[in-house]
Amino acid sequence: MTVLLPLLLALGAAPVVLVAGVLGARPAAWASIVMAALACGATLWGRWAGGGALDVAWAPSWGLRLTFALDGLAVLYALLATGIGVAVLLYSARYLPLHLEHQGRPARDAIRFYALIVLFMGAMVGLVMAQDLLLIFVFWDLTAIASYYLIGYDRHKAESRAAALMALLVTGISAVLLLIGLLLLQALYGTFALPAIVERATPGPAQTLAAGLIAAGALVKSAQVPAHFWLPRAMAAPTPVSAYLHSAAMVAAGVFLLGRIYPLLRLSPFLLDLLLVVGLLSMIFGSVLALTRDVLKQILAYSTIAQYGYVVVMLSLGTSAGVVGAAFYVIAHALAKSALFLTAGTVTEVTGEDRLSRLGGQWRGLPVLAAASGVAAAGLGALPLTIGFFKDELFFKAALERGWPFAALATLGAALTLAYVWHFWSGIFLGPLRGEAGRPPLPLVAPIVALGLLVAVGGVAVAPAADLAEAAGRVAFADLQPVEPAYHLDARPENLLALATYALAATIIAARPRWFRLAAATARLGERVGPERWYAAGLVRLNRSSRALLALEVRDLRSRIATVLVPTAVLVAIGLWATPTEGAFRVGRITVTDLPTVLGLLLAAVGALVATVPRRPLTLILALSSVGYSLAAVFAFLGAPDVALVAVLIETILTLLFLGVLALFPAELLKDQAVGPAPRPSLRWRNVGVGLGAGAFAFAVGWATLSQPAAQESVAVQHIRLTPAAHAKDVVTAILADFRGLDTMGEITVIAIALLGIAALLGRRERPMASDERRATSDERASGEEKRRREGR
Amino acid sequence: MIVLFALVVAILFGTGAYLMLKRDLIRVVAGIILISNAVILFIIAAGLTRGRAPIYPLPEGEPISDPLVQAMALTAIVISFGITALLLSLVYRVYTTRETVDKEDLSLAEAEDERQLEVERRA
Repeated sequence: MTVLLPLLLALGAAPVVLVAGVLGARPAAWASIVMAALACGATLWGRWAGGGALDVAWAPSWGLRLTFALDGLAVLYALLATGIGVAVLLYSARYLPLHLEHQGRPARDAIRFYALIVLFMGAMVGLVMAQDLLLIFVFWDLTAIASYYLIGYDRHKAESRAAALMALLVTGISAVLLLIGLLLLQALYGTFALPAIVERATPGPAQTLAAGLIAAGALVKSAQVPAHFWLPRAMAAPTPVSAYLHSAAMVAAGVFLLGRIYPLLRLSPFLLDLLLVVGLLSMIFGSVLALTRDVLKQILAYSTIAQYGYVVVMLSLGTSAGVVGAAFYVIAHALAKSALFLTAGTVTEVTGEDRLSRLGGQWRGLPVLAAASGVAAAGLGALPLTIGFFKDELFFKAALERGWPFAALATLGAALTLAYVWHFWSGIFLGPLRGEAGRPPLPLVAPIVALGLLVAVGGVAVAPAADLAEAAGRVAFADLQPVEPAYHLDARPENLLALATYALAATIIAARPRWFRLAAATARLGERVGPERWYAAGLVRLNRSSRALLALEVRDLRSRIATVLVPTAVLVAIGLWATPTEGAFRVGRITVTDLPTVLGLLLAAVGALVATVPRRPLTLILALSSVGYSLAAVFAFLGAPDVALVAVLIETILTLLFLGVLALFPAELLKDQAVGPAPRPSLRWRNVGVGLGAGAFAFAVGWATLSQPAAQESVAVQHIRLTPAAHAKDVVTAILADFRGLDTMGEITVIAIALLGIAALLGRRERPMASDERRATSDERASGEEKRRREGR
Repeated sequence: MIVLFALVVAILFGTGAYLMLKRDLIRVVAGIILISNAVILFIIAAGLTRGRAPIYPLPEGEPISDPLVQAMALTAIVISFGITALLLSLVYRVYTTRETVDKEDLSLAEAEDERQLEVERRA
């Protein structure tokens, strides 16, 4: 129950919102807020009740189970997804109508938005609770799909669409790596259940490869270098989407997964070192680029890259302090970053400006907003009396455990963070007044105030957040050393590093004119030759090859048929070549009583060969029907009178039908076909080659199958025995009408559907290209033909 | 007998495949009919026992034909007939809209249509 309730509330939110959407956009907004709040409450209750697990056999014969657990890690990320979700949805309820109004879109478009946000929330909650590799993958992809629609929500803008596609492709392609990693784990340990895999896992190259592939997928999702470029682009989304996806949900999914598979990562020091490098690079690049940006949301996007770089670094330090610190960092970052994103949205909404260079001095008009986002910014910048101070305390502590060089890098990263946070906040609110501000509506400020309050409260009473982080860390480290973040007024190394950070940050801010050019040049260089270019080039190539393939395949129907037939034949040939076939093929005896059958078979073969020759359709039809009748005779000789009878009937109807349809075509068309332009010789020989290949394939498969009849007793014996009980004399009819009656029902349905299709195709009267005269005569003939066909049945 | 069945199945299938690659849609339908026949013959040939018709009263001491493959073959015959009829009406429908049953002409017409659409989209 503790697992099921939050899960059901989160997953059920999207349908509920859609149903509420029938009433209008406002009820949908309220439904989404209520559902998110309920899911958040249920998660809290689940934590209070001590968590739990759910294990339902789904397809047990394949080892597929629905296993969910509400452990520490799940509680933390589920609370973030639902809690921040409530704040963001409250904000959206006011923001989105304004947003749609600016764009001249109908208010009802908002319903889709709320539904997608809560769908994302549900996917996130499912992901964090899933204990089964396949479930993890399914929810992982669900988040990617929801994010695609959310990022591309302003679908009339080409920029949004490109950004959405980029996010989908980059995270989707990396999800394939994740899938390969998951399947590799299954192959290694024989189960999809993550806890069992963790128990069985032993260090080794295959295990390292699997964990590495999963980690690669996770790093791309968390927008780490060099796959970071999709995140700044994704800022084309409406602000609440950025606030949600890029602070607490989508990018958090990546580091969540790293936390989930941490016991596997830990087995390979090499992998951890690799992660450390990626994290450090992301941290430095993200921070430096954030300092050079002018557009509000771009600063925050690069900041997110850097901040998740921190988290990756902490995780990959490989100590319990690092793991707990990472979990704590995620909490602090999500609260502060979502508040800052929402601030950017509100400021842009009331001033109409989204660039720092056109903003300034806004604290006069927006004092409450300035204060609330100031607290949030202080939190991100790790100033004392905010929750952020402890995140850096833990960060320094973990880095110090590893050694001084890491502590130095950590200090540099923290200083850069403080510098760009100042750059962001002071650029908007301080300095000379730039940009006209209206009064912001209450719902565009209240969620920011609430988040700011949480940041401030966390700076005083740190225990709840620390408990959450510790519980999350226990998933990775059973033997966890408790960390107790607190204020210490002494000269311990963490405090000294914090002081160094503030000093360094002040220097960086003061020296801005000196380094700005260099940083901007680096950013430009990154744009010129960076991974985004590779992505664009790859996309163009992919598109080109796809077009080439399409032209090759679709333009010519015959090539398409050949592309099905030829590879099949080749595969079968490989299979035959690879299988030991000695003694597997039997020729079979031919006795005197078989002679009529043999004759019938030969006739059918001759008929089929003749059918390839004629140019006149009539001859073709006659050859076809001779094949059919010869086969009917064969069936009769093989002791299958029912089949023979039906074959004769069907063959007759088919021949009549064929002739009837031919009669509908004008004679000159048939003559065209008969004389026709001779096919190119190369094509002709290709067709013969394909025909021979297909024949050889059929021969090989047919002979192999017929030589090895199933050894066990056929179910037919039982059918024969039971036939009198079914009040039948003919076993075949008893099978069709009784034992396998449902199959026959299906068969009748197929025929009915075919009949409907025929009626629809022939019943339409308009003939766009035929002349009036021809239309009249062919109509007559069509109706006569239809009547004949009906009688035939 | 086994190899003979396999051989005839192969001939029916091969000729069917050859016809399916022809330009003329009518021959494509003919090819599909031949392939269906190949499959039906294959099913019947896959019967475990061969002998008298499986109809009561059963002959004492003599083998009887496997009724299961017969039931399957019946189903296959009827369904392949339905599909063939549908295909024939499709061919007819193609003719009424395009005035041709030649695959290459159809491909050309399709390409032309696509070009037209592109032109309209650009305009």
